[in-house]
Amino acid sequence: MSTFFEEYPDYPNYEAAANHDEAHGKQIRKKLWMVFWVMLIVTLIELFIGAFFSEQLGELNKEYTFIFFTLVKAFFIVFVFMHLGDEKKALKYVIIAPYTLFIFYLAFMAITEGVYSNFLTGVGDALSAAALSH
Amino acid sequence: MSNQAATVQLRKDWDGGVSPFGVSYGKLFMWFFLVSDALTFSSLLCAYGFMRHKFTGAWAKPNEVFNDFPFVSRDLPLAYVGFMTFDLIMSSVTMVLAVEAGHRKSRKEVIMWLALTVLGGLIFVGSQCWEWYHFITGSAEHQRAVDFWMNGKHIVNQHFEGANLVVNAYTALPTFGDFFFCITGFHGFHVFSGVVINIIILIMVAKGMMDKRGHYEMVEKAGLYWHFVDLVWVFVFTFFYLL
Repeated sequence: MSTFFEEYPDYPNYEAAANHDEAHGKQIRKKLWMVFWVMLIVTLIELFIGAFFSEQLGELNKEYTFIFFTLVKAFFIVFVFMHLGDEKKALKYVIIAPYTLFIFYLAFMAITEGVYSNFLTGVGDALSAAALSH
Repeated sequence: MSNQAATVQLRKDWDGGVSPFGVSYGKLFMWFFLVSDALTFSSLLCAYGFMRHKFTGAWAKPNEVFNDFPFVSRDLPLAYVGFMTFDLIMSSVTMVLAVEAGHRKSRKEVIMWLALTVLGGLIFVGSQCWEWYHFITGSAEHQRAVDFWMNGKHIVNQHFEGANLVVNAYTALPTFGDFFFCITGFHGFHVFSGVVINIIILIMVAKGMMDKRGHYEMVEKAGLYWHFVDLVWVFVFTFFYLL
């Protein structure tokens, strides 16, 4: 039985190609720890706002603020921790594009079509009535 | 080795014989799995947002519900969830350091960082157990009279603390408890699977299987999954606890 690489000697060994030396590793570690501090500070700011200023900020402003901070953290996780930033352009697009498309579609449906739930009768009405009576 | 590198340079990306994405098939399909899993979580959070907005005003305020901290006095809004977030981000950092050490083929460092990652994951799962326990049993601070149906009987004005899938003491809406159990439960199960995967990889590394292969890509793939779990928690934390 021959292995894949014996059968296709030309096929590039991507797994081993990701290896790097100590000097390069030092650079990467420095970057990682910097990203960690950024994420920690962002989380602390979020907690601080959430615990003490959630009333004063107003509903809509609060939502935008938190979604902004969350997207900042998500960017760092995906592009630095998951190394998507270091991958080829083709892979970046194949991961990010379909997902973003679906998310916009989903959010659009929830926001614009969600108003129809106000016209529903039955369960929704019962829940609303229960919510108001307590 | 240098021969292979030259081949990569000569061939065009989409001519065949090379991966157009420049990664091994294992990593590529881990990414595809993560995209589909991310869509599952997105739809859960979207459904949550929809219900949250439909019943604005009747919804529970998370900083009043989750204000408990183990072994400390009461009323520390969101402090324990903040700790859980910090713990998961920290374990994400140790994971990415394990991946980096793997690229240098330093087995000792990989074992150390992976073990710390497993520890962080276990702390998170344990914290979530504690959180669920408190949410379900409740406290005197959150109590209300509830109406519900049980075994075909309509029970009216029942004094109630805590939460289950039918009623909860935090709002008049059962939906709040349902979404809490569904979303954090689904995420917690992901964390649990991640811990199991990390333990398996840790054993494989300790037995020297990665050195035999000449690369530590398995650590990287497990790392992708682990970072994804952290990523989801960042969103759950925002949408469920902060907003």
